[in-house]
Amino acid sequence: MKCKWGIMILMVLVLMFSLSFTAFAQLPGGIPREETMIADQLTGRVGMPDNFNLWAGWRNQDRGLQQLLLEPLWTVDYATGEIISGSAAEPPEYSEDLMQMTIHLREGVDWNDGVPFTADDVAFTIELHVDTPGLLYHGPMAEFVESVTVVDEHTVTVNLTRPSSRFHAHFLDRWGCLRIMPKHIFEDVEDVMAFKYNPPVGTGAYRLLDYDPAGFWTLWERREDWDRSPTGILYGEPQPQYVLFQWFESEEGKILAQLRNELDMAQHTEEGLRVILDRSDTARAWRRDWPWVVNIDPCITGILLNNMVEPYDNKDVRWALTLAIDIVDYAAIATDLMAPVSPLHLPPVPAYLEHFFLPMEDWLKEFEIDIGNGEMFKPYDPDVSQRILAEAEERGYPIPDDPDIILEQFGMGWWKYAPDVAAQLLENNGFSRNAEGNWLLPDGSPWKIDIVSDPPVAHHHMKNALAAAEQWRNFGIDATVYATEAYNDLTMMGDYSVSTTWPAAEPWGAGVDLIRTFDVWHSRNLTPIGETVAIGPGGAARWSDPRMDEIIEAMEVTDPIAEEEKTIELGIEALKLVIEEMPTIATYGYTGPIAYDEAYWTNWPGAENPYSQPYQHWPNLKYMLPFLEKAE
Amino acid sequence: MRFVKEYLVPRLIQYFAVIFCGITAVFLIPRFTGQDPILGVIAEIQAQGSSLDASAVRSLMESLRELYGLEGTLFEQYVAMWQRVIAFDFGPSFFQFPTPVADLLRIYLPWTIGLFVTTTVLAWALGNVIGGIAGYFSHKRWSKVFDAVVMVVRPVPHYIFGILVLILFAYVWQIFPVGGIMLGRSTVFNLNFILTIIRHSFLPALTLLILGGAIWFQQMKLLVQNVKREDFVQYAHTGGVKETRIIPRYVLRNAMLPQITQLTLALGQVFSGVLIVEMVFSYPGMGLLLYRAVTRNDYNLVMGITVLSILTITTAVLIMDLLYPLFDPRIRHR
Repeated sequence: MKCKWGIMILMVLVLMFSLSFTAFAQLPGGIPREETMIADQLTGRVGMPDNFNLWAGWRNQDRGLQQLLLEPLWTVDYATGEIISGSAAEPPEYSEDLMQMTIHLREGVDWNDGVPFTADDVAFTIELHVDTPGLLYHGPMAEFVESVTVVDEHTVTVNLTRPSSRFHAHFLDRWGCLRIMPKHIFEDVEDVMAFKYNPPVGTGAYRLLDYDPAGFWTLWERREDWDRSPTGILYGEPQPQYVLFQWFESEEGKILAQLRNELDMAQHTEEGLRVILDRSDTARAWRRDWPWVVNIDPCITGILLNNMVEPYDNKDVRWALTLAIDIVDYAAIATDLMAPVSPLHLPPVPAYLEHFFLPMEDWLKEFEIDIGNGEMFKPYDPDVSQRILAEAEERGYPIPDDPDIILEQFGMGWWKYAPDVAAQLLENNGFSRNAEGNWLLPDGSPWKIDIVSDPPVAHHHMKNALAAAEQWRNFGIDATVYATEAYNDLTMMGDYSVSTTWPAAEPWGAGVDLIRTFDVWHSRNLTPIGETVAIGPGGAARWSDPRMDEIIEAMEVTDPIAEEEKTIELGIEALKLVIEEMPTIATYGYTGPIAYDEAYWTNWPGAENPYSQPYQHWPNLKYMLPFLEKAE
Repeated sequence: MRFVKEYLVPRLIQYFAVIFCGITAVFLIPRFTGQDPILGVIAEIQAQGSSLDASAVRSLMESLRELYGLEGTLFEQYVAMWQRVIAFDFGPSFFQFPTPVADLLRIYLPWTIGLFVTTTVLAWALGNVIGGIAGYFSHKRWSKVFDAVVMVVRPVPHYIFGILVLILFAYVWQIFPVGGIMLGRSTVFNLNFILTIIRHSFLPALTLLILGGAIWFQQMKLLVQNVKREDFVQYAHTGGVKETRIIPRYVLRNAMLPQITQLTLALGQVFSGVLIVEMVFSYPGMGLLLYRAVTRNDYNLVMGITVLSILTITTAVLIMDLLYPLFDPRIRHR
C-alpha cells in the first residue's frame, strides 16, 4: 500500500517537474524574450481574432492595428502638444474658400508587401467610403466629399461639398481616424464589410506574425524594410524586433505577469499600480515618485447633468451643486489627491495649459455670478492647489515646491467651497430645507439625486460618483450612486438626471482647436429625451445655447492651422460661456496608472522626459518604440 | 401502452414546454433590460475617444440596425427568432459582427468542454468515492480530519481559491503561467501542444477539482452516513456479508442515485462555462463569452448559447427520467 502511495507521489512530482521545465517557453514560437516588448491590451479579448478589417467595425484596434500596422496621415500627441505628420509629409492645405483640401504624402513609403504607398491609395480609400454605407466613416465622407483628384503620385486634392476647415480631422489619429487602405488589396474585394483583411497589409514598421485563435494575444514582427515606413523615416529603427499585445482577464494576473517580468507595459488600477511599485525592483510609473500616475491624459472627468430635466435645467441649480463641492475633499475621496483639478471643461494637458488655462486665469479670478438680490459672487478659488498640497503633506506624501510641477500635478484652481452661496442660489429658486436640514424641491418633495455610473470602482466614473454623492449628502441632498451596466444607454437616451459619464467630449489634446469638445453642444445636435444622442460624452447633457451655435459656426470657417490666434480666441469664448452656464461640472483630469518594467527595456517616457504620450494602446506607441533601449 | 401514456407522453410534453418557455424568456429578457446592442457598439467605439462625428454615428447606427436584423416589431423579431432556432442558425454575433455565433461556439466550446467536463467528472468520481468511504468510516480519525479540511476548503469562493493557487504556483513558485495560452493560429498537434495545454489548464483544473470535489465529498458522505444505517445494510452485516461487498454494492450504489442526477445537471451547465475561473486564469471559455454577450446585449450570441444550454439540460433531464428506472428498481414503471 505504502509502495503505491510512493509511486503516486513520484508521478505527481515528475509531472510538476516536466511542466515547470516547459514553463520557460513563455512566448509563442519560442521568440526571444529580450527582443520582445510585451504590452497589455486594453480593450479586452479580441472577439474575432482573424478579422483585421477595422474600417468595417470594431476590431480591437489596440491589438497592434493602430500602433504598429497602420500609419495615419496625421497623429495627435498630447504629451508634446505636436501634431505629427506620418503618412502625410506636412499639414493639410486648404483653399481660401475652404472648398478644397490638399494632402501632400510622404515619399519613400511602401506597404509591408512591397507595393509603394501613393496618392491612388488615398483617393481609393475616400471614394470607397463615399460609396459604401456601413463603413465607419461613410457618413462624413458621403456628406463632405464631392470628388477626389489625384494631382500626382504624392498629392491628392479632395473637393468638398461645402466649406470646411476641419475635413482633415477625419484623418487625424486620436485613438481612431480614417486610415488609408491599400488599394491593391481592397480593389478586388467584392464585399468589403465581410472582408477579413487577413493577413493585414499596412505601411507601419511591423507586420503580423501570429495571433491566438482565442483572442488573448497578437504578435507583431518588425519589417526588414522598416525604413520604408513613416515611423522609420521619421524616428529611425523601432528597437523591439517583436511586439506582443496580451490580454489578461484579471487584474491579479496582469500584476503577477509584470512582477514576473513577463509584461513590459501595462495599465493597471491605481491600487494595482501601487502593488507593482511596492513589490517590483524593476517597475516604474509615469512619475518616479508620488503621485506616479499619468496626469496629462486628454480626458476630463466630472459630473454630467441632464439639462432637459428639472431642476437641472436651471443654471442657478447647476452652480449651487458646483459650489456645494469641497474640491480638496472631493479629490481626496476620488483620487487620493493624485489628479489635477480643472475648472475648465478641458483636461490640463500641456498644450491647453499654455493656450487656454493660463491665459484665462485673470478672467477666472474676476469672473462673477449673480446670486440674487443684486449680489455678485466671485466663485473661482486660485488657491486650491495649495490646499491640496497641504492635505497631501498631512498624508505624508512628498510634495513638490516647483510652481510649474505643482500646476502640472495638481491643476490651477477650482471653484470655491461655498455652501452658503449654494444655499442662497437654491432658496432664490424656491428650494427649502426641512427640519433635519435636508433640501426640498420647490414643490416641497425631498430632493433625491441618483448618480448614474459605470460599476467598476476603479473607473473615474465611479470615483467621481462616490465623491459627488458624499459632497452633496454633506450639503443636505439625498444623493446616492446608481451603478449599472446600462449607464451608457441611460445617459445616451436621456433617462437620467445626474451621471458621471464624461462631462465634455474629449478634445484633440494638442493644437488649439476645441471644436471637438463644443460641437456636441450645437443646437443641431440637441437630442430630445428618449432619442439617442449621436455623440455620447458631453452631448448627453442635452444643452445648447444660441451663443454657442454662433461660436461653433465661426470655428467651422476658421482654419485652425493657418488662423491659430483666432481659433484660440473662439475656444476661450466658448469656454467662458460654458463656465457661465455650467451645463456639466468638470472636476479633474483623467489619470492613467501605467507601469513600465525596466527589466528588458528602458528609456520609457516619463514626467521627467515626456518625449511621447505614455500609453501602450494609443496609436502613438509606434513613435515611442524607436526611443526604447535594451536593458543591460 | 400505459407506459407511453402515463410516463413518456407527460414527460415529452414537459420537455417541449420547458424548451418553449425557456427560449421565449431568453428572447424577451434582454429586450426588456432597456439596453440597446447598437448603443453598446457605438459606446465601445467612442469609449476610447475614437473620433466619429455625429453624422458618422447616425449613419453607423442605421446600418447596424439593418445588419443586425433589429428592424420590425417585437413579434416579427420573435417569429424570425423561432425560424432561426429551428434551422439552428443563430445569425451573426452583434458585437463581433459579422462573425456567426456558430463560429464563436466552435472556438470556445472545446476549451470549456476540455476543462469543465474533465474536472466535473473527475471531481464527481473522486468526491463520491472518497466521500463514500469517509462516510462509511465516519467514526475513524482520518475521516474526521478529512472532513474538517473539506469543511474549510468548500466555502472558499472560486475567485479567492484561484488567486491563492495562482500566487502560490505562478508567483512564489513560478512553474505555471499567468497569461493566455501561447499557441498560435497554425497549431500542430504534438508533445509541445499537449504540454502547453496541460500547463495552462492545470491551475484552473486544480481549482475546479478541489472546490468541486469538496462539494461532492460532503454530499456523498452525508448520504452514505444515512444509507449505512438502513435496515438492509444492518441485515447484510448480520448475515455475514463482507464489508468489501457491502460498501460498493449495498451502500455506495444506493447513495449514488441522487448524485447521478446531479452529475447530469452539472454537465448540462457546460454552456455557461466557469466564468470566475476563466477570469482568474485568462482561460478561453464559454463563461466569458456568455458574460460579454449579456453585458453587451448581443441578443444572437445570448440566444445561441442559452438555447444550446436549455436543450442540453432538458434533454439530459429527459434521458435521466427515462433511464432512472434502470438505476432504481423502486420507481420502475409497471
